[in-house]
Amino acid sequence: MNPVYTPLRRLSDSIRSREASPVELAETFLQRLGKHGPALNAVVTLTKERAMKQAKKAEEEIKKGKARGLLHGVPWGGKDLLATAGTPTTWGAAPFKDQVFDYDATVVEKLEDAGAVLLAKLAMIELAGGMGYRQPNASFTGPCATPWSLGHWSGGSSSGSGAAVAAGLVPFAIGSETWGSILSPANNCGVAGLRPTYGRVSRRGAMALSWTLDKLGPLCLTADCCGIVLEAIAGPDPMDQTTSKRLYRYTLKRDGLRVAVPKGVTDGVAESVSKNFDEAMMEVEKFAEVEEIDFPEFPYEAVTRTILNAEAASAFDEFTARGLARGLTAPECRYGPYARTAVLATDYLRALRLRGRMARIAEDVMETFDAVAAPSRATTVPEIDKEFRKATPGTARDIMGALGNGAGLPAISVPSGFDGEGLPTGIQFMGRAYDENAVLSVAVAYQSRTRWHTMHPDRFTQ
Amino acid sequence: MDSMEAETLFRLVKEKYGDKIKEDELEEVKKAVEKIVETSMELRKVELGNWDEPFTVFKPYRRDEE
Repeated sequence: MNPVYTPLRRLSDSIRSREASPVELAETFLQRLGKHGPALNAVVTLTKERAMKQAKKAEEEIKKGKARGLLHGVPWGGKDLLATAGTPTTWGAAPFKDQVFDYDATVVEKLEDAGAVLLAKLAMIELAGGMGYRQPNASFTGPCATPWSLGHWSGGSSSGSGAAVAAGLVPFAIGSETWGSILSPANNCGVAGLRPTYGRVSRRGAMALSWTLDKLGPLCLTADCCGIVLEAIAGPDPMDQTTSKRLYRYTLKRDGLRVAVPKGVTDGVAESVSKNFDEAMMEVEKFAEVEEIDFPEFPYEAVTRTILNAEAASAFDEFTARGLARGLTAPECRYGPYARTAVLATDYLRALRLRGRMARIAEDVMETFDAVAAPSRATTVPEIDKEFRKATPGTARDIMGALGNGAGLPAISVPSGFDGEGLPTGIQFMGRAYDENAVLSVAVAYQSRTRWHTMHPDRFTQ
Repeated sequence: MDSMEAETLFRLVKEKYGDKIKEDELEEVKKAVEKIVETSMELRKVELGNWDEPFTVFKPYRRDEE
């Protein structure tokens, strides 16, 4: 069996039946990370020693009949903002390139408990994009490319997590999202990316950009894989007081699915993205009841933007005061943090007060639906060497991103086709708080009727 | 956008961090402060009542209740 581009369920079956060996899998994917990672700028650090130790342990356990579940012996890569004891955790930023923690992030611990094998720390936009980057070249490891075209951007800030999965360098990866950082690389790299409900996954040991907006989630080949990984990483954590006490089990709803489409959702969206979205919705209509909805006028973007600006300014207060931003890669990130120190406390609190209203608006509008559908991104994939606004001008508002992140709602992006240049486009399904299984049900049903997720870039399939 | 508020906040930023910002970057910082004020003005247009609390729960801490 060729393990590359094999979805998790099948990979797991082959490990349990001992058709595939965890040690050989680790070696295969480490070799691919070493061979293809540099061309994509997708990898920061290979954790080879740790990987081989974990893989040998998994192999021994499986031989002895001790099964830890679907991720036992499966290799993975983590965004380089997850603390891993003894290896550098750079946050994608030159000023932190030698930073080493003496503990593992809770997500890393949970995946170790599940028997998964950590192969690499993956590239990311410096400080998860918190300094206001405007171009792909905003990481000390260089701009990360989508495997579909080395001249185009992987998306960010979980850049390497998207690119590594799409290039078949790891079977799955963990990314983080404050506003768009999982859905964007999932879209640009043509993979599935799941942003869980805020508090579903512990943030302990992950770089904080915005305490009340940051979420950790999986990027995988399929929506089904995302559900499997989420089950392994979700759950309460006494070390992160914001984690929910609700336990999560991945299950799918097969019938009676209801999907909403916001009125005017493709206004200002690039033509090819809009066309692929319309075609995707024709597929969705075959298995779900689809209805148009209207989100009322509300300053969604202003609420989420103000919270992000104020919390990021505070999280990086010392960094800013010490002038360390001067060492960042993108010129705009070197002065980006200063302006946001001007957010007034009363405006931050006003945003937090309005957040309650925003959450209730979301619940009122979405209560009878399993998911709200929209294009994952309004624009096509940007070129790697240009500022976003010049490369892909667009006028669409990002209400889904502002509302979804501001209210802490789960969403998944899955591929919806390709544009005229052969670059992927995505469709997102966003659900009510704690309804990951509803959005996964819709995404899995959609992927069972489409083949976009089975297509992989030629350069990496040989 | 309230240009006086933006100008005042920009002066504050310049006062606090001016030694860390290059001359040619100041104009960009000023534009970013203006954007922040513009965003705040959008928030201030929405009426809130005294009972509209921040959507964040504070819990008094006791180790034995962890």
